[in-house]
Amino acid sequence: MSDDFIVVDRLAKQYGPVTALAGVSFNVRRGEFLSMLGPSGCGKTTLLRAIAGFVEPSSGEIRIDGKVMNAEPPNRRPVNTVFQNYALFPHMTVWENVAFGPRRRGVPRAEMARQVDEVLAMVGMEGFGDRYPRALSGGQQQRVALARAIVNRPRVLLLDEPLGALDLKLRKRMQVELKRLHERLGLTFIYVTHDQEEALAMSDRIAVMKDGEIAQLGTGEEIYRDPVSRYVADFIGEANLIDCVAEAGGGVRLASGGLALPYSSGAAGATTLMVRPEDIQVGDPRADGGVVSVSATVRDKIFIGQSWRIFAVLETGQEITVQPGSSDEAERLARGAVTALWWPRERGRLLAQ
Amino acid sequence: MRIGRFETILLLGGPVLFLLVFFIAPFLLMTVASLQQKSGTWTAAHYVKLATDDYYWKILIETFKIGLWVALVTFVMGYALAYYITFHVKSQLVRRVIYIVVVTPLFTSNIVRSFAWIVMLGRQGIVNETLQATGITSSPLSLVYSKAGVVIGLSYVLLPFMVLTVSSILQNLNRSLLEAARDLGASPLIAFLKITFPLSLPGVIAGSLMVFTLTVSAYVTPSVMSGGRFNVMSMLIYQQYMVFFDYNFGAALGILLMITTLLVIGAYVMALERRARAAG
Repeated sequence: MSDDFIVVDRLAKQYGPVTALAGVSFNVRRGEFLSMLGPSGCGKTTLLRAIAGFVEPSSGEIRIDGKVMNAEPPNRRPVNTVFQNYALFPHMTVWENVAFGPRRRGVPRAEMARQVDEVLAMVGMEGFGDRYPRALSGGQQQRVALARAIVNRPRVLLLDEPLGALDLKLRKRMQVELKRLHERLGLTFIYVTHDQEEALAMSDRIAVMKDGEIAQLGTGEEIYRDPVSRYVADFIGEANLIDCVAEAGGGVRLASGGLALPYSSGAAGATTLMVRPEDIQVGDPRADGGVVSVSATVRDKIFIGQSWRIFAVLETGQEITVQPGSSDEAERLARGAVTALWWPRERGRLLAQ
Repeated sequence: MRIGRFETILLLGGPVLFLLVFFIAPFLLMTVASLQQKSGTWTAAHYVKLATDDYYWKILIETFKIGLWVALVTFVMGYALAYYITFHVKSQLVRRVIYIVVVTPLFTSNIVRSFAWIVMLGRQGIVNETLQATGITSSPLSLVYSKAGVVIGLSYVLLPFMVLTVSSILQNLNRSLLEAARDLGASPLIAFLKITFPLSLPGVIAGSLMVFTLTVSAYVTPSVMSGGRFNVMSMLIYQQYMVFFDYNFGAALGILLMITTLLVIGAYVMALERRARAAG
């Protein structure tokens, strides 16, 4: 099992008093699509640049296929990068841009021409070889940047927010194309993004980062269903974070002396209850038990196409968002109505800070 | 805000008037003078003399040679300095200090500076003393009153033009292009040759053009540092005007220098642009 194709071992980077990476450790599997997700300043780009060789770690180690990379200059690492703003060479044509890598490796002329034409076709840019980058749209530049990296058949492809500069529609299409390209080439992708939807849509696994550390690493579903902290729950998808009160015995109540909830605060003393809006149903709970039911007042409701979104206020005064699967019950609710809200017990999670 | 016709005329009027009075009128007067005898009758005799007497051509070529040498010396030194300031000096303060030092020669008097070089480059000057003390040369080099001296003196004062134009380009160079080159397998040297240098060519062209034209038209430095042992075009022109009072032949010499300089510059720019496109 090539579970340790890339090993990042206690990697740290200090910029003077600022900690960009605080001892990060994780493994990447061969052929995996791994996303580094987090807000700006969380260290995800520093981490990517350290793997590419542009940032010298303060301590820790990076190994690719068993080989320590720390002392290798960027031009001798088996990785290629798709840069955030593409970084296409403005004084070279599209063809020359893509041929830059093969030329450096001394690929024979005929073979090089074949490779360049092949990847240009792969990204749908055949026929653009003679153009200069300034004569291309953002999406086209993006494709050329991608072609320029994959023509070298790197063992790892690093992508630094490659779709960040594109408009929403084009971004969605490029996500699909990137994903297909990943499957077709069988390369290992490390993908940096601050867009959680993008990470969910494309990745095998996601590393959610915060303040130079990995807050959680897992599949999109794991992170969505079972976030380890308030931060992760809030960052991935939409979450209702309901403040509760822990009791001495480990029990949890919605408020002091209020409704008892069927959860345990555990050793960490977790008091934030997370429920996703789409897991909450409106109306009387199903009869077979195993559900949590609370009462709330409808403040607002809006129609969003496939269903309704309801903003309701709990007895404690906290507002929660509800997006029920069936819209019949929701449709009947009027503003100001008092209703029961419920969710299956296992869809709620008690989180520490 | 849109501006009307009246404001346009007002805005453009100043510069146009300035050019007319201080550039076009003197230029026309000189052209006319170069085509006249002292008496005012029309003649092409001055140009015939220039075309047939190779004394003037030799000096013209010497002048251009000095121009090329100065452009070459300032390019090598100026590019290295600009590169160092841009890529290796991290502190903003140090960078500013270096810029001030680079520009300082422009603040000193031309004559004082030239005599200072004569003192330094003389047989017992600091340059020859150092060369002999370190054993690089066994006998003093004749640096003063030579073309080498003129090249040194002019390179010194014209260096800032090259440093400033090149460094302004290098500072605006997108650093991620260099990272992309390294990422695609280029060594630092190849990244410089394939990316940094081609993209900085506009600065090199602008800098070397300024240096070249300022060199071929320079008067004080060559006349002080040549010690009267050889002439450059500007000295010939000066002599015609101020020694022989032959304003007409002097004007013809001036026109010759201007037109040939324009031709050289034109050929240079075209050649470089073609190369840039071919290498592009």
